[in-house]
Amino acid sequence: MRQALVRIGAIVRKEFRHLGRDPRMLLAVVITPVIQLLLFAYAISFDVDHVPTIVIDFDKSPSSQRYLRQYEASPFFEVVARGSSLADVDSAFDHNTARVAIVIPSGFARSLAGSESAQVAVMIDGSEPNAAKVSQAYAVALNQLYGQQLTRDWADAQGMDLSSLGLLEPRIRTWYNPERRSSDFLIPGLMAVIIAIVTVQQTAVTLVRERDLGTQEQLEVSPMRRIELMIGKLLPWTLIAFLDVALITVLGRTLFGVPLRGAAPAFALGAMLFVFASLGMGLLISALAPTLDSANMIALLVAFLPSFLLSGFAFALDQIPVWLQWISYGFPARYMVTIARGVFLKGAGFTELWPEMAALALYALVMLLISAVLYGRRSSR
Amino acid sequence: MSETVPEERWGAERSNESRRPAISVRGLTKTFGDFTAVDGIDFDVPRGEVFGFLGPNGSGKTTTIRMLTGTLRPNSGSADVLGEDVVRHPDRVQRRIGYMSQKFSLFEDMTVDENLKFYAGVYDLPAARFAAQRQYVLEMADLVGRENELTRDLSVGWRQRLALGAATIHEPELLFLDEPTSGVDPVARRQFWDLLYDLASRGVTLFVTTHYMDEAAHCNRLAFIYRGRIIAEGSPAEIRSDHMDQRIFAITTSRADPALQWLETAPGIDEAYLSGASLHAVVPADSSLSEAGLRDRLATAGFADAQVTEVDPTIEDVFVNLVSRQR
Repeated sequence: MRQALVRIGAIVRKEFRHLGRDPRMLLAVVITPVIQLLLFAYAISFDVDHVPTIVIDFDKSPSSQRYLRQYEASPFFEVVARGSSLADVDSAFDHNTARVAIVIPSGFARSLAGSESAQVAVMIDGSEPNAAKVSQAYAVALNQLYGQQLTRDWADAQGMDLSSLGLLEPRIRTWYNPERRSSDFLIPGLMAVIIAIVTVQQTAVTLVRERDLGTQEQLEVSPMRRIELMIGKLLPWTLIAFLDVALITVLGRTLFGVPLRGAAPAFALGAMLFVFASLGMGLLISALAPTLDSANMIALLVAFLPSFLLSGFAFALDQIPVWLQWISYGFPARYMVTIARGVFLKGAGFTELWPEMAALALYALVMLLISAVLYGRRSSR
Repeated sequence: MSETVPEERWGAERSNESRRPAISVRGLTKTFGDFTAVDGIDFDVPRGEVFGFLGPNGSGKTTTIRMLTGTLRPNSGSADVLGEDVVRHPDRVQRRIGYMSQKFSLFEDMTVDENLKFYAGVYDLPAARFAAQRQYVLEMADLVGRENELTRDLSVGWRQRLALGAATIHEPELLFLDEPTSGVDPVARRQFWDLLYDLASRGVTLFVTTHYMDEAAHCNRLAFIYRGRIIAEGSPAEIRSDHMDQRIFAITTSRADPALQWLETAPGIDEAYLSGASLHAVVPADSSLSEAGLRDRLATAGFADAQVTEVDPTIEDVFVNLVSRQR
């Protein structure tokens, strides 16, 4: 046992030496996560506000003007132009001067007065889908707000006490992320991406490299067990992955003010399970990949892309095609993203997140077992 | 071709030793699918000997080494290494054997010292023993004062010696060397063999594979492996006398290629091939052909400048001969 630890220690020291000698590698595992964090948090913003808006009022009534003031008052829309014909909408969209057009048809006030539902056209430039989706949601919300307002005015006029009738005051709230800041949303998800890249990619490559160098052959002749080599090679990457998690957490909290509402231990456990699941995945790749290049490619395919696209990090999982949703269950990233967002934003803990944790634990167990079997067995060829 | 075998180097008392052999192999077989890489081989390697395992690429040398080091399980047969059954208990011998491959297995981004330290850790060497071994290796490899240089900055010869040092850091009783001189220049190869003799003189058994036939002369005993089978075994002298009943003429001419073509089809000549800078022509032992006779025939055939000398067969001649008989 003591000898095994000495041997594992020799591998760990060697791995850190490699890392120290290769500035690019150091860059890849420590600096890249920070750069990615800054990049995602600043540059790729999913925040939508001050959406340039053109309004066209064909009704020109006090009601229509009151309605439009709702838009002007909202920080979300910025009324940049008032048009006089529908052609102005085309022109504004074409020149990218506006992304949303609000068109009030003539007869708006009359319909309202007649207690019919008044039609307002909200046109959205769909070329920026994310902004379009949010704008639409806001426009609907504003309409409801306005509608309720009108109801209330009407009720007041009739001398009715709304609160006694039990009608609720309309309120729009975005839960968990009231300001809808995308950094709050992205940074916890980004952890999954970064851990996946560091662990899967590096472990996939590190063992294949040993094989290419002929050093694995050399070590097989020595008293070192393959499982010891495996543990020795994985330990440094486990530590680095945890370091990255801590780094992103601290930067997220300090630089971007991402809230940590839930239990930190729950997050730590989730991250640990995810790290092990990713390491297992990397190991499996290194056991199966014939060359360094193919290991890199496969790692990219099963680590980077799914954790980016199929984890809910960038795209909500309920909005991707169903067959892709099924595929996403096969990659550990989606569970990690759920756990990270759950703990950071929703204040969730073990009670809420145990299914994801169980999935990760199972995943890690299966992956590590398969690769331990693949590595541990004496080669028959 | 260095043909003088320094067999006396090991002295009579060692060759008279009747200890159990370092390696004893019986019926060892390994197949990969339909391909039989090693086909029921038998041989013994006495302790303290330099045993040369010769054969062309792909003949089963590396597969045999991997079975003897316990990293590859044979399909059948037995292999005893240092008195232990290496097939069943590779762990019992792994601490006592060393291995060096043509890849050298060094970490090029680490220094000389770091490489040695790493392998010392792998073998769990106590600090005092490591200090002594490190000093020995550095002196042996002529790397004193270069301990902190990166391995990638060393030239091939030094890397090779460092690899030998790393492979012997734990003072193995038996060292396997798989084509250790492959890709190394002749001078460095010569120096490397001196190091191997040095190890042998300290009592280490050496099992060396090579496809350089001239290196065979450096060994106490040889085994030829060809297509997975051992086709000759013995000391270099035994192999030459047992397997070579033919005479060899060495021919030099400025037009070697056409001369070779002519020799291959000439009546009375069993075999012709390039050997170093000259052509070798093999004739039956009872052939009446003389140096002058062959020179005249060559001159008639248009090779007026041909020089013909009858030579003693080299190990390479023997091997070519054995292989041609297998076909």
